[in-house]
Amino acid sequence: MRHSLVVGFTVLLALLLSVMPMPEPFGFGRPMWLAMTVAFWVMVLPHRIGLVMAWFAGLASDVLYGELFGQHALVMTLVATMVLLLYQRIRRFPLWQQSLVMLPVFGVAQLLLLWLNSLAGSRPPILLLLLPALVSALLWPWACAFLDIFRRRFHVV
Amino acid sequence: MIGTSNDWLSVAAAGAAQVYEECTIKPLFIKGPSLGVRLLALTVLSVALMVTDARLNVLQPVRAQLGMILMPIYYVAELPVRAWENVHTQLTSRADLIAENQRLRAESLLTQRKLQKLAALTEQNVRLRELLNSSSLVDERVLVAELVGVDPNPFTQRIMIDKGDRDGVFLGQPVLDATGLMGQVVEVMPFNSRVLLLTDVSHSLPVQVNRNGLRAMATGTGNNDWLELRHVSDTADIRIGDIMVSSGLGQRFPAGYPVGRVISVEQDPAEPFSIVKVAPTAQLNRSRYLLLVFSPESAYGDVFPVLSLEPEASPDQAVAAPEQPEQPEQPDIPGESSESSEAGEEGSNDAP
Repeated sequence: MRHSLVVGFTVLLALLLSVMPMPEPFGFGRPMWLAMTVAFWVMVLPHRIGLVMAWFAGLASDVLYGELFGQHALVMTLVATMVLLLYQRIRRFPLWQQSLVMLPVFGVAQLLLLWLNSLAGSRPPILLLLLPALVSALLWPWACAFLDIFRRRFHVV
Repeated sequence: MIGTSNDWLSVAAAGAAQVYEECTIKPLFIKGPSLGVRLLALTVLSVALMVTDARLNVLQPVRAQLGMILMPIYYVAELPVRAWENVHTQLTSRADLIAENQRLRAESLLTQRKLQKLAALTEQNVRLRELLNSSSLVDERVLVAELVGVDPNPFTQRIMIDKGDRDGVFLGQPVLDATGLMGQVVEVMPFNSRVLLLTDVSHSLPVQVNRNGLRAMATGTGNNDWLELRHVSDTADIRIGDIMVSSGLGQRFPAGYPVGRVISVEQDPAEPFSIVKVAPTAQLNRSRYLLLVFSPESAYGDVFPVLSLEPEASPDQAVAAPEQPEQPEQPDIPGESSESSEAGEEGSNDAP
């Protein structure tokens, strides 16, 4: 019960950060806050947080962004799947190595998003779209540290 | 230091020991349906949802309800901006306020003068149109809305406003600001709606040159600063500085609202058409207050009974043009009103 409250709160925080107004040039590099949060919780609590929770988080961001239902949901499911395949290894890694592993994870997620976007009709410039993946991977150690504070403070195991 | 992964093992062990008495041991391997099966199920579900959402309108109510729950996130995200504005208003010096007040008074005076002239001109226009037996000019009603948030996706040009279904907003409704056309409503939620701006890549609208009536299509470029005119031949009479107004041909935007000003005309012999750039007159990335237009072209929102609902539903909501459609002039202009309304009646008697 407590863990779902804590996870829900951090997901809400991630959604809030992802619609926060940002100055014009930085908008292209907006970190994938939701993907980072989902990845962290799946990595730390793989027995509690799984694909379904990731799917619902993605659905919430679809509603918020006004995009097709299921678009971000699919992307978040993919992120959770990749982390579930990797978690037994990357948990042991030091943080910088973790962020190295997270780079392709976020990159694949962004590419899937690009593909779904172009199916839905809007085609953004491609290379710029990968910038959020890079920024997210760079921010991963700090996001991890921040979310870990929550995890320890509320004894989520 | 927190979060180095080396001590996760020990933390996990400690945590497991701590909760050992009350609940089960944390499983080492995850059970239940395999990962592949779950992924496949959710993928199929997502794809089904996407196809349904793209092709049918079935999910629209669900989306509206979910949107109503989640929209407060936009309000919270905008809080710092609002707080800053509040502080700014509180701390504005008296001299600044007086100066602003004077400027606004002067502006109001100028606008009033133009409005007086406008009443006479409108009346003249109505008479001329009656001579030509063409349809009469009808005023639009507007509703003031406030900007709530900007779409976080940098590749689309969309904004959120604080009026929705409950205020009579309908899909495809034109949106203006004080200086020109801004865009149209693309998604309606109970208390909010989403507006697609003119400059979005997926947006086009029919326009005409104010000077000579030449028609064209203005397409968004994804850039805030200009629109492009599509398929303009090299010989077309378009000059830099021409004002483009909406032509009303698309049956969506009312005719005659300013869209933009031509800033460059390039005629490249290698290209089949000339490249015309139009800078939007509306302040697309600065306006905080927007006007939602209920026009006869959009049937005053035939989906929702706007006309009958509006006066009692929102008497204080700044419905800016409450007069009857038969009288295009403002009734509160001193001296002009009685005369012009007489003229209007006279005209309408002549018409049949």
